[in-house]
Amino acid sequence: MSESDPLVFMMGQFAARIPLDRSYVESHFWLRPEGPYWRVGFTAYSVRLLQDVYFLNWSIDADTPVRKKQEIGEIESSKAVSSLYVPCDGRIVRFNERVASDPTPINTDNYGEGWLYELETSAPLLSAADYVAVLDAGWDKTQRMIKGQMNE
Amino acid sequence: MAAKKITVVISQAPGRNPTKRHLEEELAAALLMEPDIDVSLVPHLNDLSADHTGSLYLRGVAGHLVVLSWLFPRAARWILDRNGVKGQVGVTLLKPADAGDDDPSPEEEEAPRPNAIGALNVPKRKLYCLDLRDQSEPKVYLDEIRRIARESTVQTVELDLMSWIGGSPAPAQMQRYLNPFLPTQPATPAANGNSNGHATGNGQPAPAAPVAPPPGSADEALRRRWYPIIDYSRCTNCMECIDFCLFGVYGVDTHERILVEQQDNCKKGCPACSRVCPENAIIFPEHKTPAIAGADIALEGGFKIDLSKLFGAPSAIEVAAAERDQELVNDGRDAVGLTVGIPKRRLQPTGERDTLDDLIDDLDKLEM
Repeated sequence: MSESDPLVFMMGQFAARIPLDRSYVESHFWLRPEGPYWRVGFTAYSVRLLQDVYFLNWSIDADTPVRKKQEIGEIESSKAVSSLYVPCDGRIVRFNERVASDPTPINTDNYGEGWLYELETSAPLLSAADYVAVLDAGWDKTQRMIKGQMNE
Repeated sequence: MAAKKITVVISQAPGRNPTKRHLEEELAAALLMEPDIDVSLVPHLNDLSADHTGSLYLRGVAGHLVVLSWLFPRAARWILDRNGVKGQVGVTLLKPADAGDDDPSPEEEEAPRPNAIGALNVPKRKLYCLDLRDQSEPKVYLDEIRRIARESTVQTVELDLMSWIGGSPAPAQMQRYLNPFLPTQPATPAANGNSNGHATGNGQPAPAAPVAPPPGSADEALRRRWYPIIDYSRCTNCMECIDFCLFGVYGVDTHERILVEQQDNCKKGCPACSRVCPENAIIFPEHKTPAIAGADIALEGGFKIDLSKLFGAPSAIEVAAAERDQELVNDGRDAVGLTVGIPKRRLQPTGERDTLDDLIDDLDKLEM
């Protein structure tokens, strides 16, 4: 795969890189083929919102069939707490044990060593451009909300 | 004669958790020695029926009332309201042990929302609800109760006490005097010292004997209950709950106000109507999610954003419909999904406004 420049989505002053070498889902995860499976991780957009990740916990075991929107764990960071959900139907093959014990790579290398789990799925995914379009749409709304121009 | 008296009621945790029981007993023992405080024990508020002697006793208390329970204060307050134990919200300075120190303001009374229909027939006396899960040290509660006692000037209690001493006790008082129950674990000063109208610390008869039922008491045996409680300081009478619930839990009173009419129709474990309530006015005191169990939502989130929505959480409506379907299927009925009892506007993205609003506010703080 060529080392083409990633797409960039500007979150205020922060440039969120969206690499072209993988697929995405609307819930802000990237998926990259890893053997027969998809390796899943947080996008730069997610990590920017999370900031420093303190704690990651999975509530299901690996090698488990999962359904879209099923809750599978939780994450706590300096700025946020969140439950984590499966982006599409499939089976979680394995979790990244290293990140589960020390989530630092989520911040230092979210597109590489900071991957979360491997998923077997045949669901349709978004391209980098599709994902940036999703971010664009959402961010516009966000901007309008911040400026209080949204009608109640 | 004590001119100022407040009543403290300790609502005991269900089950036999020794740590909880110990805290309850330490508090009861210490409060028995306080001259200006009447103390009683009742079972877990959530499980009290309206005609339980504990409820009768609570309704008989006329003056300022402090209720300690293993519930969020908002849940305790509205359970009491439902059982006819009403009062103005007393502001407590008690905070959860893990609350941030950088927020020095006490837990303030939540201002009634502009469109809320409010509680009916609320007397002037104050009702303080303290959460026994907030702190592990009895001293913190005792200090707070003494502070409340100091700030209270309690004429109504005096009248109540006078009527008692003057020979015209309320029926509930007489009932307790004649049939005092022993607490479930009698090896405490609370049990030994106040089980039969013995003198309390100030030499007064103790009109408030513990009312916890003895173990195995047939007519008083409490089963765990599961039902919604309406917070009328938030409820706008929008009727979305009555449209959504397909089990006939909700009804309206003669003033066309929403109420929980058939609480035993409610499906144990199902909090779906709470999720569809646009004002978060429906409390399930025993639910594991704090926001549903009556936690102050503003406090609950702390200073952290909840990004669950962003990471693909199903919407509250989707969760509620799935929970309702599960209960329908369990009853041998057909699942209805999102087709029944959900206003169309709730299915549109604007229905997420509150969550998104919070998210945006928090994003704003990140200075992006």
